[in-house]
Amino acid sequence: MKTKVGIPRSLLYYKYGVLWSSFFSSLGCEIVTSPKTNKAILNDGVLLSVDENCLPLKIFLGHVKYLKDKVDYVLIPRIVSLKKEESACVKFMAAYDIVQNSFEDINLMEYTVDMKTGKHESWGFFKMGLKFTRNPVKIIKAYKKAKFELQKHDEDRTKEQEKLGKRSKNLKILIVSHPYNIYDELIGKPIVSFLQSQDIDIVFSDLFDHDRAKKLSKKLSRDLYWTYNKELLGAVEYYRNKVDGIIFIVTFPCGPDSLVTELCQRKIKDIPIMTLVLDELQGEAGMKTRLESFVDIIKMKKGEA
Amino acid sequence: MGNYQIVFGDLCDLLNFETVMPPPITKRTIELGSKHSPEFVCVPFKYNLGGYIESLDKGAEVLIQGGGGCRFGYYGEVQEEILKDLGYKFEFLKLTNSASVLVFLKDFKSLNPKLTNYQLLRGFLRAYLKIRAIDIAEEIIRKNIGFEKEKGELEKIEKSFLGELKKVKTVRGIYRVRRVYLRAMKKVEIEKPENPLRVGIVGEFYLLMEPFSNYFLEKSLGKRGIEVHRFITISSWLKHGIRSEGHRKHLLKHADPYLKYHVGAHGTESVALAHELYKDGFDGIIHVKPFGCMPEVNAMASLQRISKEKKFPIMYFSFDSQTSETGIQTRLEAFYDMLMMRKQNEKS
Repeated sequence: MKTKVGIPRSLLYYKYGVLWSSFFSSLGCEIVTSPKTNKAILNDGVLLSVDENCLPLKIFLGHVKYLKDKVDYVLIPRIVSLKKEESACVKFMAAYDIVQNSFEDINLMEYTVDMKTGKHESWGFFKMGLKFTRNPVKIIKAYKKAKFELQKHDEDRTKEQEKLGKRSKNLKILIVSHPYNIYDELIGKPIVSFLQSQDIDIVFSDLFDHDRAKKLSKKLSRDLYWTYNKELLGAVEYYRNKVDGIIFIVTFPCGPDSLVTELCQRKIKDIPIMTLVLDELQGEAGMKTRLESFVDIIKMKKGEA
Repeated sequence: MGNYQIVFGDLCDLLNFETVMPPPITKRTIELGSKHSPEFVCVPFKYNLGGYIESLDKGAEVLIQGGGGCRFGYYGEVQEEILKDLGYKFEFLKLTNSASVLVFLKDFKSLNPKLTNYQLLRGFLRAYLKIRAIDIAEEIIRKNIGFEKEKGELEKIEKSFLGELKKVKTVRGIYRVRRVYLRAMKKVEIEKPENPLRVGIVGEFYLLMEPFSNYFLEKSLGKRGIEVHRFITISSWLKHGIRSEGHRKHLLKHADPYLKYHVGAHGTESVALAHELYKDGFDGIIHVKPFGCMPEVNAMASLQRISKEKKFPIMYFSFDSQTSETGIQTRLEAFYDMLMMRKQNEKS
């Protein structure tokens, strides 16, 4: 019987999903990914969660609940720090403990990345691999293959976005949002669909090369230490004179975003900016109206120029 | 920051700056702060910003900001932008983002290069001794304010104590003030039952230490006849800050099995304390945090589990700029009633 490893389609799935699927498949596991977020998953997550958790974390708990009894292990990564002077949001540090304490009897598979204390991702994966095989070479090969596949996946998506930009004549809007928001079926998809229906080309900030982004982000913010926010901020700096408008999508009450978005709004004055703050009580009508007016403003501005 | 204001004034003297003491925190402070803060930033930011605005209005030219912790490390840059946009002209000094005390001292020295190491260490020693004295005094008051034979005695002594402590400038003087006033506090007539209700207060650093921000919750609770305990103070932070990795391992041992890893800032401490206080036979705890505080919200899943499994009363308070004072008092009253009932049921 193959071991079933459950991957919640939420939070870091959008960054590392390919990495995980590849690694565990190579080691002979069956991968079970939760479905795209739906109302049931959202409701489950909200009920399971402390009220003041951010919306993505609530949705994450809903996904974990979906997987819990269908798999042997649910995968919960712990990302504390990807680089010595940087941190990930503390929610990623605590996700394992939050899940462990929110469910009775749940089997979790976890690894920690913490460069502040020298815990490298490869070591975390190696320890997980030992659960499935005693052969270290097999584990190392699986990890290398997974890393390669993830890299290729990311590079392809980055290139595709660059190509799109050069071809079309449509209005371009930069969406600044964590991947787990903008690509989520319930949170970001309605926004993306709507904008595309208005013939808008969407530029996704998370698809911009991360290393370049982090270097560029210093121009907007010197002290920023949240890695994932630095990646987004760098894209803002790069695209600010290449797009017609910027939309910040923030879920309530995201800690890092509450500050970083404020900084951007104060430092960027030469391009139309809109901020959408989303929570679980979202009214689609209100949001559409705001998006429509924003698109109108951009069209007007472009018409004037 | 509560009674620690005295000490910060002394430290600024070290820097040869003319200290502008921010006016005591009032409703105006938080209103000003909220008005200009990002909407859902955690409330310490708002108090902080309000304090800066009031200080700048009073003529301050240099602002100092600390760092470290969860969002705290990023406050400085955003506050600087906000204040510049409001039209203020000032120099903004951001101290280290690290939790290391040594790095902090180094950064501090760089603010006044004329400062010798001797003066720096002497200045910090005096500051530390004052902080210790304040923390010990506050602990005595917290534990006994509900049991005074003559109501108000302890607070009277506290007021004189702080006044004297502010004035004194030498190590000898600090020890003298401490000895005299702590003795006076211990002499106050106390009528405490054999087994008083004991409640611990845990949670986020700023809210625990700034009484205005938690609506004077400790004294309010204490005055109802409860022996209040709080474990997070600047003394404790200094004590543990020096070997934070070791301290964290120690906390996780206490938090086990409700936490496997560190969850951020003082979140781990909250869980460790909750577990320990339950084992020590406390009647309950109060968890205090700013609305949305990520590390403390992280801890809540564990706290709720402790509360449920051990039938240990935990009351959760979330503070923001709009939190209703009456609401807090009502809930404290209900908490007290519940604890009393449980105690009486235990006896019978």
